Amino acid sequence: MINCEFDRRRFLQWTGAGLFAAVSAQLSLDTLASAASSTPLPTNTPILVIVTLYGGNDGLNTVVPFTDPTYQSARPNIALPSSKLLPFTDALAFNSSIPEISGLYAQNKVAIVQGVSYPNPSLSHFTSMAIWQSASMTAAVSSGWIGRWLDLQPHSPFNAIGVGSTLPPLMVGDKSVASMVDLGGIQLPWGPAASLIPRLGRPSSSDVPLEGSAAMSMTDFYSTAQVLGPLVIKSPTGSFISEQLSLVSTLINANVPTRVWEVNLSSFDTHVGELEDQNALLAEVDAALGAFMTSISAGTRSNDVTVLVYSEFGRRVMSNAGLGTDHGTSAPVFIIGNTVKGGLYGEQPPLSALDVNGNLQVTTDFRDIYGGLLHDVLNTPVGDVIPSWSTALSVH
Amino acid sequence: MRRLSQYITRVPLTPSYTKRLATARLLHRFNFGPTPGQFAALLSEDLATTQRTVLEHSLPDPGLDSLVAPNLPDLGPFPVANTPAATTFLDAIVQGQTELVSWWLDRMVASRYPLTERMTWFWHGHWATALSKVNYPLPMQKQNNTLRTYALANFRDMAKAMVVDGALNFWLDNEENFVSSPNENLARELMELMTLGVNKFTQDDVTAAARALTGYSTVQSNGNVTFDAQQHYSKPLTILGTTSKLDAESLAELIVSKHENAVFIADRLWFRFVSGTTTPPHSLAASFANRDIDSLVSALVHSTAWNDPANSLVKSPVEWFVGTCKALKVQPSTLNSGGFQWDLSQMGQSPFNPPNVGGWPYGQAWLSGVAFQYRFDLTQAIVAMGDLSPLSVPKSKMVQACADWLGVAEWSRRTASTLAAATDTPSEFATLALLAPEYVVSA
Repeated sequence: MINCEFDRRRFLQWTGAGLFAAVSAQLSLDTLASAASSTPLPTNTPILVIVTLYGGNDGLNTVVPFTDPTYQSARPNIALPSSKLLPFTDALAFNSSIPEISGLYAQNKVAIVQGVSYPNPSLSHFTSMAIWQSASMTAAVSSGWIGRWLDLQPHSPFNAIGVGSTLPPLMVGDKSVASMVDLGGIQLPWGPAASLIPRLGRPSSSDVPLEGSAAMSMTDFYSTAQVLGPLVIKSPTGSFISEQLSLVSTLINANVPTRVWEVNLSSFDTHVGELEDQNALLAEVDAALGAFMTSISAGTRSNDVTVLVYSEFGRRVMSNAGLGTDHGTSAPVFIIGNTVKGGLYGEQPPLSALDVNGNLQVTTDFRDIYGGLLHDVLNTPVGDVIPSWSTALSVH
Repeated sequence: MRRLSQYITRVPLTPSYTKRLATARLLHRFNFGPTPGQFAALLSEDLATTQRTVLEHSLPDPGLDSLVAPNLPDLGPFPVANTPAATTFLDAIVQGQTELVSWWLDRMVASRYPLTERMTWFWHGHWATALSKVNYPLPMQKQNNTLRTYALANFRDMAKAMVVDGALNFWLDNEENFVSSPNENLARELMELMTLGVNKFTQDDVTAAARALTGYSTVQSNGNVTFDAQQHYSKPLTILGTTSKLDAESLAELIVSKHENAVFIADRLWFRFVSGTTTPPHSLAASFANRDIDSLVSALVHSTAWNDPANSLVKSPVEWFVGTCKALKVQPSTLNSGGFQWDLSQMGQSPFNPPNVGGWPYGQAWLSGVAFQYRFDLTQAIVAMGDLSPLSVPKSKMVQACADWLGVAEWSRRTASTLAAATDTPSEFATLALLAPEYVVSA
């Protein structure tokens, strides 16, 4: 009898390298499921939760350099008035739409890394998001940074899990991909064909790589469904992001053996009507993160969880007539957790020294943040995931 | 001698795997998959016949005769919230959206010459505009008609029509683009995502293009675009090295005239129809020198790419759904619309609602366990209503008959043995075949 895990590894080697040796053993779902549920994440294992804000969140209206006169003069129609600010230094204030983050910051549980981007930032959503998610400056690398971390782990569909249905590029490796869970719950196939469907998830020697991935996604679905199914219960109310984070906190507190979780929220591309839209979006994210941290802090994983909140770019310093802002460059990144050393990291880019397009300069490379998280949370040297990168910004 | 000729006449040569693969690829990628019997029929012809068949788009299409486009009224401005008028209004919006989606999917399934619908679907992802922001179905229907009109025509004409398309203008904030305070959204995405590609222009080009796009305003509820010369930036602009006075249409013409446009569009077609991992030959862009979309598609169909095993693609959820409905002769609008449109949205692909201006994801992104969960739901619904008569063959021939029915080049031993275990129940058999990796992926 061939060991399941061994088969799967050989299958993965084949999809990666084009080498294949016939695999005949059945993947026993019962074996996989019981293996997963009988191997809860060991206590004190660090967990990373990634929150992606799609569209380019305006950093200047999130962490506001409110005493800089340029802030008012460059964006008079969208500058936040003092009544909408929660100052935390003599120069910086939180947007009052994020009181939970402000409160966590006061407890030293939020690291704010300032001026984050990469050299010569792209103003394209897609190029910039591809750079952030692949942690590569070249389009030749299509794998994501978490995907490459997954490639280094013994295969398990539990290693990394995203919420939703389509895999974000950051979770796709060269050999492995993350699993996904859906807010609508998990339902196993039913009816007369149900008993045979799992057989379609076995690897076959004639599969092209994408067929192999299709097969594996089915097998992984069955293994995750058995463990997660009873836990995935749609929360009755709440915003999209709060439902996602609520699901993640439930699964973390259930000791699901997952090291990386991914959730996301779109619509930060505030070319028009920014104040209303961004404040509403930030308030949703803030309430969701507050509830998430409350839930985690009350459980046994209180000191294990670190949350990363980022967007593909910040926005133009000067606002437009449509009460919005066009695409920009650097912005603050939040890292939140009970073991995070809260405070300010990096330098706030000055509003008085903009680049030729009127955008903020870059003072921190996002790969340094990944480097710190890989080292402190995922116990992996940064160079193993981001080749030729060796520096790291630790907030732990 | 005699024995040999007898042998040849009595045992027809099985079409080679290569031919099966090329035929399956052409049908699935350009025609939403075969109708029942079509794949087997084309295998007995030469490949040129298949190429001619998938490219046909000029004949009258009797498949579409019975499909009536939804008559979408101009619903006017949003009423005051929490009034009876608001409820009626929202019902009309939702009903219009649902009818629009069903109508288009019906066309994809019913079309006798599906290339036009297939290309319209491609262009929808290319000029990705979404109901999530536009809200009103009427401007989206108008855009859809524009995309269909130019689906295989000249890209220059398409770009000129699209740059003044109401839904696109609203989607990309052009109604907030003023001389005194430009909004760059439409200008940037027009060049980056729709005509030239990233890094083929500068920020100065974006700034200038945004000025060329001033003076246009859109009625959100009906997509009508009007031009006000007083509000337009009338001085000469320098864009991509050329200085001239420009409005939206002459801007589109200027951009499309650049060689980079031919390369970019050829690359986009290759990426969506051939492979997300290989690159096209240089000759492909040359076939687009006149910006004739028909010529470009024809060059793609006649390329040697179809014999290269590397050129596999994952069918997007809509492509898989339409192919399944075609094979089982199910008209999408006869399914429970809440059910199948919900499943498609949960799989991440609602027509008229791409996730962002970049269009749909591709490849591995569609292959999540969650997508499988909803694919199963859809399969159940379609099989329950479907015509399974192609499986009415002796049990020993069902596995092969199913490959020929669905246009699968070859089942793996895994799938063949699984199907062989289900020959007692055609519905069970069909469910398994439609969920098999060989059908979910266009290998």
